[in-house]
Amino acid sequence: MRRWLGLVALVVVALATAVLLGPAHVPLGELASSDIVRTLRVPRAILALLVGGSLAVAGASLQALVRNPLADPFLLGLSGGAGLGAVLAIALRLSGPWALPLAAFAGALGAMALVYRLGLAGGGGRGAQLDPRVLLLAGVAVGAFAGAITTAIVSLAEATDLRNAFLWLWGGLSGASWQTVLVVAVYIPVPLVVLYAAARPLDLLALGEEPATHLGADVEPLKRRVYVAASLLTAVAVAVSGVIGFVGLIVPHIARLVWGHRHRALFPAAFLGGGALLLFADTAARVTVAPRELPVGIVTALVGVPLFALLLRRWAGGVTRP
Amino acid sequence: MSDSAALLSAQRVTYRYPGASSDALRDVSLEIRPGAFHAVLGPNGSGKTTLLRVALGLVAPSEGIADIAGRPAPAWSRRELAQVVGVVAQREDNLFPQRVRETVSLGRYSHLSLWGAEQPADRAAVTQALERCDALSLEGRWIWTLSGGEYQRVRLARALAQEPRLLVLDEPTASLDVRHEMQLFELVRALVDRHGLSVLMITHHVNLAARFADRALLLADGRTAAEGAPGSVLTREMVERVFAWPVAIEPFDGRPQMIPLRQPKESA
Amino acid sequence: MRRLLLASLFAVACRPTADRPSAQPPVHRIVSLAPSSTELLFALGAGSQVVGRTTWCRYPPAALQVPDVGDGLNPNIEAIAARQPDLVVLYRSPMNETAAAQLRRLGIASVTLPQDRLEDIASAARELGRRTGREAAGDSIASAIEALLGKAPPAAIARLAFVVWDNPPMVIGAGSYLDQLATLAAGSNVFHDLGAASATVSIETIAARNPDVILVLSDSTALPPYSRRPEWRAIRAVREGRFIMLPADLFGRPSPTAPTAVAVLRRALEGAARR
Repeated sequence: MRRWLGLVALVVVALATAVLLGPAHVPLGELASSDIVRTLRVPRAILALLVGGSLAVAGASLQALVRNPLADPFLLGLSGGAGLGAVLAIALRLSGPWALPLAAFAGALGAMALVYRLGLAGGGGRGAQLDPRVLLLAGVAVGAFAGAITTAIVSLAEATDLRNAFLWLWGGLSGASWQTVLVVAVYIPVPLVVLYAAARPLDLLALGEEPATHLGADVEPLKRRVYVAASLLTAVAVAVSGVIGFVGLIVPHIARLVWGHRHRALFPAAFLGGGALLLFADTAARVTVAPRELPVGIVTALVGVPLFALLLRRWAGGVTRP
Repeated sequence: MSDSAALLSAQRVTYRYPGASSDALRDVSLEIRPGAFHAVLGPNGSGKTTLLRVALGLVAPSEGIADIAGRPAPAWSRRELAQVVGVVAQREDNLFPQRVRETVSLGRYSHLSLWGAEQPADRAAVTQALERCDALSLEGRWIWTLSGGEYQRVRLARALAQEPRLLVLDEPTASLDVRHEMQLFELVRALVDRHGLSVLMITHHVNLAARFADRALLLADGRTAAEGAPGSVLTREMVERVFAWPVAIEPFDGRPQMIPLRQPKESA
Repeated sequence: MRRLLLASLFAVACRPTADRPSAQPPVHRIVSLAPSSTELLFALGAGSQVVGRTTWCRYPPAALQVPDVGDGLNPNIEAIAARQPDLVVLYRSPMNETAAAQLRRLGIASVTLPQDRLEDIASAARELGRRTGREAAGDSIASAIEALLGKAPPAAIARLAFVVWDNPPMVIGAGSYLDQLATLAAGSNVFHDLGAASATVSIETIAARNPDVILVLSDSTALPPYSRRPEWRAIRAVREGRFIMLPADLFGRPSPTAPTAVAVLRRALEGAARR
């Protein structure tokens, strides 16, 4: 119980620092009325929480699905697809403030569908089954392919706009607004609920597909649901904030060190932990080299990896002794 | 659920794996009666695990019928089936470190509601399963610190936690030493005798199956070679034909025991 | 134009390197691999001697008649050699050092010139003036720019920021010729404290520094698309629609037309300050 309270407190502190700190100096008394705080900092903080949480849950569920602790939401080709979508939107001169995120989202979904189709290794006499190993390989291949097309378009293109599209892909949370927050907040509950409902069967899947079936899990529909839900979460994250690495890979591992492997506890813990990590990272990105800004993906790596190493040392000591 | 005589009933089933050149199973029948210990024996590739898959509805036979507790196998949802049949498969992965109690509680999945939490009844079932497998003392241990025999008992406990009527074990003693082998067979026998479980065990260990099982099914090349009480199934002619090796059959404890003979040295 | 900011993203300040000593016959076939040097050659009256340019070299309009040999960074050596130049003008950047070496191996003379700030244009004008046998024109252009730079900058009448990209937000700092133009035009770049030619900042920083007007490199008069986004409207200048559009011909690269650019910008800033 104390662990949960600690985690919630961490999130609250993260939100507070994100709102209180920033390159602009806003006196405490003016916080509530400050335009900067209300229009920029608060939506950006909430977005960081939602995006960080979504990436962490997507990462945890994909690690369970492909039964590989190194799985990361961006391993499945989604970032390649999103980049290609964004570049095409710019090349085709699509206009409107939502053109880029929608195109990136569509690109990510396209990649998801392609990888899914490739991952359906036929067989078993009962229709095609989703093979997690093929899924991983297909994801890497599709991502590389999309990346190659994107690079080709960009290098042959005339407008600097296209070259700057890459900057957007590594962009981060600078595009946060109340509109973006609303869209994300309305969108993510469904995939999150689907994944939470899959939490117990995913525990069974860790034993293997056949043992899981014998214990009562419907494995084929489970794999499909988890894949689609995790991909949808990742797609919206890329669409609004580009590629932010390490959160989806590392936060689930950190959460497991404290909460164990049961996904019913792991998913909520990963959501809150991922949100807190991205909040702290984004605050650091905004503040440490002010007035300049660091790409938030670099900060998540710099913060997340040592944290993980620290916890790993403490945990490894406790468990290997019988 | 009708309380029919057979828990599992595969009638004259035939099955071929996709792309295979011959049938894995041909015209095989299997009937598991309540409260009995059934053994399935046969050389490698004789179709034992395939029969299990067909009987449990994991794959559909091209001919024949597979029923479970009176209903056709495809009519069972996986969740329903898990409440009636507990399976200890040949292999399982152990991707994440767990304690014994945690892994045994995974067996309660089919009894838990989608959103509900574990109930005291679930925890009691886990405790009881651990007790019956003589594994309660291992409760707090990490599973990777267990010996082979201890680990098998834990897996058995997990299957028992499902509160099944039928327990299915696929080669459970494959890498165990004699002490742990005997302990496992004794444990299974006790579950049948004291708690009324039915057991279906696939095993290579012909002699122990003969000592402990009530009925035996001997498969050869996907076909039924013999079925019945161990004494009637394990005759010298039958065993030599199926296993393609000369043996002597000696009775022990009222059950036939197989003793493989050495091949005479052939002159060059 | 935006695309030409590729040049201004690199802040380097060094002396030009040359491959041969000064006393040499004027060159007749020049391949110019940067928009600034191309424009400069035409301004020197040596436009007819330019036999190759990059895709990005579009000023003056006469330059469009010159054959396009590709990129200026990491140039296509074969395409350049095919033009049979006796001088190649390279933009100074670490990436072009390999190109210079490759040209040397082919026996093609090249000169590497920094082209980020106005004083770079002055020295480039003298260098290229000498090389093309038009010293007088070169000196005259250089003097004009040096005179411009030599004057004490006027007191600022408006605080401004150049916003060159929106996601992530990027602004121009002191390392760029645009910052110089702004200062000379009685403007004060709120990001002058950033030494680099350009940098990524947060919208919050721009809002906090509250420029009076936002400068955008654009040939159209339409407001930039991000001006409608709610998070950008936290910046007063965006809310009030206080933008100045800077056409590429005058502002797209450091150029001999700097004095005109300064005058145009000054008038625009005065107009903005009045509103």
